[in-house]
Amino acid sequence: MRIERIGREPDYSRYMDLKEGWLDRRIFSDADIYEEELYRIFARSWLFVAHESQIPSSGDFLTTHMGEDAVIVARQPDGSIRVMLNSCPHRGNKVCFADAGNTRRFVCNYHGWAFDTAGDLKGMHEEYCYDAGDIDFKNHGLKNVAKVGNYKGLVFATFNSDAPSLEAWLGDFRWYLDMILDNEEGGTEFIGGCIKSVISANWKFGVENFIGDAYHAGWTHDSGARSMNNGQPFPPIDMQNSYHASMNGHGWEFGTEGVGDLVLLGRPKVMDYYNKIRPKMAERLGEMRSKIFGSVASASIFPNVSFLPGISTFRQWQPKGPMQFELKTWVIVNKAMPDDIKEEVTKGVMQTFGPGGTFEMDDGENWENCTTVNRGVVTRHERLHYRCGIGREIEHDTLPGIVYRGQYNDANQRGFYQRWLDMMTHDEFGKMPARPEPRLGNVAETRDLPGLFAL
Amino acid sequence: MLDRPLAPPPVEVIVAVTQALHREARLLDNEDLDGWLAMLGKDVSYRLELKSRRFRADRSPPLPLGPGVIFNEDLGRLKMRVDRLKSGFVWAEDPPNYIRRAVSNVEVLANQADNEVRVHSVLVMHRNRIDGTTRLLTAGRTDRWRSEGSCWLLASRDIVLDHSVMPDSNLNAFF
Ligand code: FES
Ligand SMILES: [Fe+2]
Repeated sequence: MRIERIGREPDYSRYMDLKEGWLDRRIFSDADIYEEELYRIFARSWLFVAHESQIPSSGDFLTTHMGEDAVIVARQPDGSIRVMLNSCPHRGNKVCFADAGNTRRFVCNYHGWAFDTAGDLKGMHEEYCYDAGDIDFKNHGLKNVAKVGNYKGLVFATFNSDAPSLEAWLGDFRWYLDMILDNEEGGTEFIGGCIKSVISANWKFGVENFIGDAYHAGWTHDSGARSMNNGQPFPPIDMQNSYHASMNGHGWEFGTEGVGDLVLLGRPKVMDYYNKIRPKMAERLGEMRSKIFGSVASASIFPNVSFLPGISTFRQWQPKGPMQFELKTWVIVNKAMPDDIKEEVTKGVMQTFGPGGTFEMDDGENWENCTTVNRGVVTRHERLHYRCGIGREIEHDTLPGIVYRGQYNDANQRGFYQRWLDMMTHDEFGKMPARPEPRLGNVAETRDLPGLFAL
Repeated sequence: MLDRPLAPPPVEVIVAVTQALHREARLLDNEDLDGWLAMLGKDVSYRLELKSRRFRADRSPPLPLGPGVIFNEDLGRLKMRVDRLKSGFVWAEDPPNYIRRAVSNVEVLANQADNEVRVHSVLVMHRNRIDGTTRLLTAGRTDRWRSEGSCWLLASRDIVLDHSVMPDSNLNAFF
């Protein structure tokens, strides 16, 4: 599948100078730029569609979006997962209106065309109305995406047959990802359902907040921190031993003290649990990663997934027009955890980063107002400042990626917008520069990394 | 299940509990949060479960650990929320939002324990935010109210939010 778009080829490099550290405000509200994002970013990237634990059995399905395109993600009888457009090839109606469930068939409401869970057209209401030669069943199923991939439980799909492998797409970011996906034998699962809310803001504000904006927490979430911590504000950040790491637009900002986010979660039993498994985690992932996990941290996978390792909220920012997104959030836990610990994690997540959570409640309005105010016809021509920590890039023996020292930094945000710009400007993946050159190469398993990276 | 009352509660009880619901809404609208806390029982449970839109004939089993909850609060947690709102550091509420709650469809039913009643009601919450945008949320509530001394206290509240996608960026308000 190749998604072509003919027409405007504006020079997007006009909209930012990341060496200088500024962005043009129009990328947060302009309708043409947004349309182009749907083609050049969402129709060409690997996009998160499900955690495999959400659809464990044959016939299990869920519905979601890739960009603004509605899709169904369904478990097949042979255990594989298929992702297909949730749109009937007859007149285009949505064929599945449920959020999730288990079924044998998807039947379209309009004229009753029926599809199996692979998307194949199996029959329709009053089939006799079609004469021989009118319709070829084989070519009138639900359109499947170009590729589906699974990285340690996270299922991704892409409309782009030219996309690199999912492993190559995630690249060195896998070294970081494994801290949540593989910190204990057995991997992870989502528990409970999905919470959806609509936020009148540009999708990039959510992503950039989680990719690097540790800075906002102490101020935006001051009330939350104080109410959970006997009136005390957040402790100051250790700027020496905390970092930003960016790889092809993915990014993780983190400390190395190992407990900050676990404290914020506010569930002592969960803290105890991780302290108990930490020595094993160190054997599994190396000393460094066992110290990063649980510290104050946040991360985003390009283009639109974010999570808080340690706090266990996992989320996706689904674009719904230039000035609106739908936020979907889940709780991710280790499968090996006993049920009572899983329940403690869920409680903690809802109390902090659920829609009624002490921290979550403060964020949405900031993003909404950044979006609407940036749109003013005069305001939109003013630049935004993204220069924090621009001189703090370091080489680090252990940490892959473009690494900056100091958790209060705009480095990962700049890395995200750099990748945004690369995708908006380059027609071919092969021509996009690697940022940075990957260290891991084709290594299949970051657990087994020798020497340097396992430290 | 049919809501068949054991024996209908006395009219005075129905009036008193209905008034308590209205009073509660007024206290919250006026940000008299301590006044509201005083209407809660010591063992209060305040819950909002997650929903997901399913086909009527859905064949999937329930999730092993349940659907998940957005609110699962006891008195301590509700106090903490109130402390947060009163901290003076909630920027999104300063200047204050305009919030108005309308309570209706009140049904007061007898409960097994004779100092308790079960109450169904509908809450419509109008929120006019600091940036001028207005959000409307509707919820159904099933409560238990208990008479203690001269007053009725909220013992438990199960909230059902009538939105599959929440039309607001947060649930920073009590239902
Ligand atoms: S649109 Fe689906 S059957 Fe006609
Ligand atoms: Fe935040």
